[in-house]
Amino acid sequence: MSDTKKQGFIVSSLVGLRDWTNDRLPIVNAWEKHMSKYYAPKNFNFWYFFGVLSLVVLVIQLVSGIFLTMHYTNSAEAAFASVEYIMRDVEFGWLIRYIHSTGASAFFVVVYLHMFRGLMYGSYKKPRELIWVFGMAIYLVLMMEGFMGYVLPWGQMSYWGANVIVSLVGAIPVIGEDLLVWVRGDFLISGATLNRFFALHVVALPIILIALVVLHLLALHEVGSNNPDGIETKKNKDANGIPVDGIPFHPFYTVHDLVGVTVFFFVFCFIIFFMPEMGGYFLEPPNFQEANALVTPAHVPPVWYFTPFYSMLRAVTVPLFGIDAKFWGLIVMFGAIAILFVVPWLDRSPVKSIRYKGWYSRVALLIFTASFLILGYLGTLSVSPGRTVLAQITTVLYFLFFFMMPWYTKKEQTFPEPSRVTGRWITNKQFVLTLALLAALVLLPLKAVGAEVTVDLDHVEMDVRDQASMQRGLNTYMNYCHSCHSLQYARYERTANDLGIPTDLMMNNLVFGEAAIGDLMDNTMRPEHGNAWFGVTPPDLTLIARVRSPEWLYTYLRSFYEDGTRVWGVNNSIFPNVGMPNVLYELQGDVICSNNASAPEDCELTHVDGTGQLSPEEFDAVIYDLVNFLYYVGEPIRLKRQEIGVYVLGFLAILFVLVTLLNREYWRRIH
Amino acid sequence: MSEDGTDSGRRRFLLGSTSVVGVAGVVGAVVPFVGSWNPSAKARAAGAAVRVDISRIEEGAILGPIPAWRGRPIFVVRRTAEILEALPTIDGDLQDPASAQPEQPEYATNSYRSRQPEILVLVGLCPHLFCSPTPRLAIRAEPFEENWKGGFFCPCHGSKFDLAGRVYNGSPASRNMEVPPYYYETDNILVIGEDGVGA
Repeated sequence: MSDTKKQGFIVSSLVGLRDWTNDRLPIVNAWEKHMSKYYAPKNFNFWYFFGVLSLVVLVIQLVSGIFLTMHYTNSAEAAFASVEYIMRDVEFGWLIRYIHSTGASAFFVVVYLHMFRGLMYGSYKKPRELIWVFGMAIYLVLMMEGFMGYVLPWGQMSYWGANVIVSLVGAIPVIGEDLLVWVRGDFLISGATLNRFFALHVVALPIILIALVVLHLLALHEVGSNNPDGIETKKNKDANGIPVDGIPFHPFYTVHDLVGVTVFFFVFCFIIFFMPEMGGYFLEPPNFQEANALVTPAHVPPVWYFTPFYSMLRAVTVPLFGIDAKFWGLIVMFGAIAILFVVPWLDRSPVKSIRYKGWYSRVALLIFTASFLILGYLGTLSVSPGRTVLAQITTVLYFLFFFMMPWYTKKEQTFPEPSRVTGRWITNKQFVLTLALLAALVLLPLKAVGAEVTVDLDHVEMDVRDQASMQRGLNTYMNYCHSCHSLQYARYERTANDLGIPTDLMMNNLVFGEAAIGDLMDNTMRPEHGNAWFGVTPPDLTLIARVRSPEWLYTYLRSFYEDGTRVWGVNNSIFPNVGMPNVLYELQGDVICSNNASAPEDCELTHVDGTGQLSPEEFDAVIYDLVNFLYYVGEPIRLKRQEIGVYVLGFLAILFVLVTLLNREYWRRIH
Repeated sequence: MSEDGTDSGRRRFLLGSTSVVGVAGVVGAVVPFVGSWNPSAKARAAGAAVRVDISRIEEGAILGPIPAWRGRPIFVVRRTAEILEALPTIDGDLQDPASAQPEQPEYATNSYRSRQPEILVLVGLCPHLFCSPTPRLAIRAEPFEENWKGGFFCPCHGSKFDLAGRVYNGSPASRNMEVPPYYYETDNILVIGEDGVGA
C-alpha cells in the first residue's frame, strides 16, 4: 500500500518536473518531432545503420579526445613523450588513446559507408539536397580534423605527412610560397604548426563539426528520411496523417539501431584490444619514432582514409598551360572532393534509388566504387610506372562518374517505382555475385601492377608470457645495449613488476648509477657524444619493436659480418652500412660474407666454427630473449589489454543476444 | 497478450534485462576514464619518499619548507630540551593535546608527536584550508599572541600550532598538523614518505 503511494509520488514528481520544464522549453515537442513521432520508412536495411553509427563515433571521439587533452602536452619538445606517457604512465591511458586512434579510422569507415548509401539510394536528390551538402561539409571538416589530429603525436609520419600536405599550399601560383610560411608559422613544420593544429583539432573544428551535424539532422527531420526504394513515404498518409509506410523512430528504430551499435562496438573493441595498430593502417609503424626534420622515412603513405585522394594527387604528372603538375594535382585532389557537393544537381534521373535506375547508372556506380577502392589501395603503396598509369586511369574514371552523370541518368531506361516501400531487393546470390564482381574489378588491375617487394626475414614468434626469457633479455640489454641506447619512456619499477623481478634485485643488479626505482630507464650517454662516436645518436629502443617488427630485429642482430672497409670492422646484410658495432661479437664469434658479394644485401653469412663464446644456437637464443624483451617493452600493456579484451567481447556478446531479442520483440508484428 | 497484440510481459522482461546489462556496460566504460584521473606513474615516482640529512640542523632550528614530499612542504625541527619541557604545560590551551585524531602515524602518537623526542617532522600545511603556516619558533611575545610558547602561525586565517604541530583553541583549524610517515635510515638520515621496516 505504502509502496505504491511512494512510487506514485516519484512518478508524479517526475511528470511535474517534465511539465514545468515543458512550459518553458518545448522538450515534449522536440522528443515527439525527432523521436516518438518521427515517422521513418519501415524498410530501412543494413545500410541505414551507418548514420547513427557516425553519431556514436562522434561521441566516442569527443569523450576520448577530451580525456587525452588532459594528459597530452602540445609542444614540439614534449608531444611525443607525452603520448608515450599516456600509453604507459597514465592509468588506462593506453585504452583511451587506442579508443581515439581506432575511433578516427572507424569514423571514416562509417562515414564512407554512409556516403555510399546516399549515392546508391539517391538520398541527395530533391528535397534532400541540403542534407547532402551539409553531409559533405561534415566530411570535409572531418578530413581536416583527421589530418590535424594525426600531426599531434609528433611522430615521423605526423611530421612528414604534415610536411607533404601543408606543402601543397605552396603549389598555388603567385602567393603560394608566402602562404605556406604563414600556414606553418615557420620555415618548416615546427612547434608553431603543432600548436595551431592542436587548437584547431581540439577546439575550433569540433565546434564546427557539431554545428554541421545539428544542421544535417535538422534538415533530415524536416523533409524525412529517404529509403532503399527512394519513394516519398510522406506522400501516402492514412486518415490520422501518419505515413502508411512509416513507423515511429522511437521505439522501433532505437531498438533496431541498438543491434547495429552493439555489433559495431564488438568490432571496434576487437580492434582496440587485439589489433590496435590494425596491421599498420590505423597506427603506422614509423609514427612510433619521434619527428625528425632531417630524416624522411623510406615511404610516407598517408593514413588509409586519405589514400584515394593522395593517389589522385600523385597521378597528375604532366604540367599544363605552363603551370606545373603539382598545382594540377592539387586541383584534381580538391576537385574530387568538391565535385561531391554538386551531385544533387548532376543527377537528372526521374527516380532516386539504384533499384529503379537503369543499367548505365548501375554500371557507373560499380566502376566508380572499384576505382575509388583501387585509388585507396594504391595510395598506401610506393609509386611505380605501372601503378601511376593505373592511378591515372582510375582518377579519370572517378571523375567520369560525375561528369557523365547528367547524360547517363537522363538517357537510360529506368524501371517503374513501386507505390509502397518493399523489402529485400536482390537475392543473396545476386548480392554475393555483385561483391565478387566488385572484388574482381578491384583486384585484377592491382595484380597487374605488381605487389610490394619485401625483404626475407627469419620468422620468429614472440612470447610475452615467458618471463624468464624477458628477464634474460633485460639482462642482455642492460649489459650490452644500455650504455649507448636508452629506454627513456619505460620505468624500472614497472618493468621489474611485469617481468617478475623483485625491485631490490632489480635495483642492486641491473640499475647503474643514481637512478631510483620509479625513474625512466634513461641512459647516461649524452646525444652529442653518441653523434661523435657513431656518426648518429644511438636511437632510443623503447619503441623499436613497434617501428621495426620483432622479425626484423631478430634477423638484423644476427646479420652482422666482418667487413674490414667499415669503421667498426663489421657490416650488416639487413641494414647495410649501419653505424652500430656488433656489440655481441664476443658471444657470437666471427661471421663472414662467404660469397664475397659486393652489396651487403646479397651476402651469404657463414659462422666460423670454433669462434665465439656461444654456439650459433645458443647465440640465437640470446638474441631471441633480447628481442622478446624489446617486444615487451614496446607495449608493456599488451597482455593485460588482451585479457581485458576477452571480457569486453564476452560482455558485448551477451548484450547482443539481448538487444537482438528486444528488436525482434518490437518488430514481430510490423510488416 | 495485451490489446495491441504485444506480449507485454516478455517485452518488459527484455527491456529490463537489456537496461540492466546496458547500464553495467556504461559503468564499465566509465571506469577507465575515471581511473585516468588517478596519479600517474610519473606523479607517483615524483612523490616517492625523500632522504633528508638532519645532522646540520642546529638546536632550536628548522629545516624547511624544503624538502618537499609529494610536492608538499615538510618541516623538520630540532627541538631543545626547554621546548620539550614546555610542551605538556600548554595542553590546556589545545584542542587535541593527546593526538586523539589520526593525523599522525602510530609511532608518532605520543606527547611529542615524533619517533625521537628532539626531531619533529611535519607536513607544513595548515589543516584548515591548506596554507603553509609560518614557523615562529622563539618563545616570546608575538603580535598575534602575547604569551607565545613557540610554534607555527598560519598567515591566511590565523590558526596557531605549538612545536608539536598541535592546534590551539580558538583557531579556525580544528585538527593538528599532519605528521608524514618517516623513519631513520641512520642516526642522521631521515626517510620521509615511508614507514620503514616493522612499522
